[in-house]
Amino acid sequence: MQATKSFERAFLRQLLRVFRLSAVSYKSMSLQERKSAIKLSADVAMASARGSRKWTRGLIAKLSEEDEHRSFLRLILGTEYERLTKPCHGSWKIPRSKKIVRRSLRVCSRRKNNLRAPHGFKSSVLARTLVEKRTHALKRLVPGGESLDGYSLLDEALDYVISLRAQADLMQKLLTTFEASKLSALSKCTLPERKASFVGK
Amino acid sequence: MQCLRTPLSDLSVLERQRTRAEWQQQGQEQSDYHPYDADYCMQSLLPVETSFRALHSCSGGGANENHGNVHGSNDCFSNAWPDIVSSMHCPVVGAAASVEETSVNASSSSSSRKRKSENTRRSKENSGGSDGKDDNNCKRIKEETGGGSAPPEAKRPNKRKEESADASKENDKAPKSDYIHVRARRGQATDSHSLAERVRRERISQRMKYLQDLVPGCSKITGKAGMLDEIINYVQSLQRQVEFLSMKLAAVNPMMDINIDSFFGGREINPTCKSGIIPMIGMSSELLDQSYLQFGSLQHDMFMDSSDLLLRPNVNPPAAVSDTSLGSCLNVNGSSVWNTNLQNVYGVEFQLGRGTALPFQSLQGNLLPNNLKMEM
Repeated sequence: MQATKSFERAFLRQLLRVFRLSAVSYKSMSLQERKSAIKLSADVAMASARGSRKWTRGLIAKLSEEDEHRSFLRLILGTEYERLTKPCHGSWKIPRSKKIVRRSLRVCSRRKNNLRAPHGFKSSVLARTLVEKRTHALKRLVPGGESLDGYSLLDEALDYVISLRAQADLMQKLLTTFEASKLSALSKCTLPERKASFVGK
Repeated sequence: MQCLRTPLSDLSVLERQRTRAEWQQQGQEQSDYHPYDADYCMQSLLPVETSFRALHSCSGGGANENHGNVHGSNDCFSNAWPDIVSSMHCPVVGAAASVEETSVNASSSSSSRKRKSENTRRSKENSGGSDGKDDNNCKRIKEETGGGSAPPEAKRPNKRKEESADASKENDKAPKSDYIHVRARRGQATDSHSLAERVRRERISQRMKYLQDLVPGCSKITGKAGMLDEIINYVQSLQRQVEFLSMKLAAVNPMMDINIDSFFGGREINPTCKSGIIPMIGMSSELLDQSYLQFGSLQHDMFMDSSDLLLRPNVNPPAAVSDTSLGSCLNVNGSSVWNTNLQNVYGVEFQLGRGTALPFQSLQGNLLPNNLKMEM
């Protein structure tokens, strides 16, 4: 499963735009700062290229937790920022009635106790706890995944994985193009030789 | 969405309405892509379309013919429908033991465009006979979303089991509603809870299948816990990879910051970037404009010259210019103007600018080595 070309294109466009906007400040940064700035730009570009999805909102929300990033994000996204940060129609937190939750917990625990007493250690219980643990871990990984239930969590994870992969691929390609052109630029040879060396590569 | 548009123009109006309404139902404002939907949809909607036409054409044909068509289109649908993603939740109501087929002429409880399109489609196909109607009902139920989405695959196995047996029993008088109607399988519990749970489980298992395709090396692992484990590992590794790459880019970058803009100004004009060229062409001039503001005066002057060079061929020809003509323009202008500029005092930076742009232009035919080509 591949991300579509339009996504890649939009991503690259946004990324270049972000680089352009922040290139001034790059010179004064240390390596670490530059790295986090690049990572931030890449994430923002990915989120804005993807459009509106639960994980993009979650990502932008997470990124805008710091004030300095917030102004940066606002600059990049423009009007979209406001749209993306306000809670979407599918509520951010699934509204749950406390009474019902308490009651269901009681019922569940009673059922579990009843089952456990006669049969001892049931494999299904073990399986369930394993799955639950992993679901929690996945919720922590996928941005905005805390409030999602099983199905939509998987859905968002799927989408997120595709975008992450496209992001990594794009950055890799960017890196190789930069490196290659740097090599050619810094070489001391004359132009025809440079061309020849390029062809040879 | 964009990649869907052209093939959709080939499909009939009804197909288009149906798919368009379906995407809208997914509630995504501007999703740039549905990766799996789009790809699979494009392939699998076409056979559906052809079988649809077959249905249309055999109006009131013999039972055998219709059966054949129904099964044929059912098969097509069985390919198409699992791949169409619906990401909204639906209030599932298990109708006790029997399915209520929705009717063609029933008053629609919601005014979704999908329903209307279905109505128009169905009214056109009404000549198809009862078996055609079964098929329609099948499809209709699968498409039916109303307030939520109907995971078609949940009902399809039901349908396929029961269809051939009960073709005549399909009742199409039930009113449309916002709920999914699920038929209980033979020998299984029919209360609403277990039905709802079954639907939910099937949806989740379908998602797991997708993820299995996505995450490399997961084909052997069955079971939810193991799959989740792999997914988590994959996500973590991808995130780590992105961090590492950003670190490397940061390391590469300071030497290159002069070149980012001119580099991409020249690059996008490279004809090896096929479809991405036209939107990028506008960007290249803008990139160079921006570069004026950011760099020092020395580089200002340098880029003024080279950007004039690059801008001139950009500005004059119309937007839909061919790659080769641009490339040739640049080549012609490049060598002459830049040779004269060599006389100036610019020094190393200018060499840099020249060095990067030219190889990309002159190597058009010769194609950059693979690792330099960016697939756009």
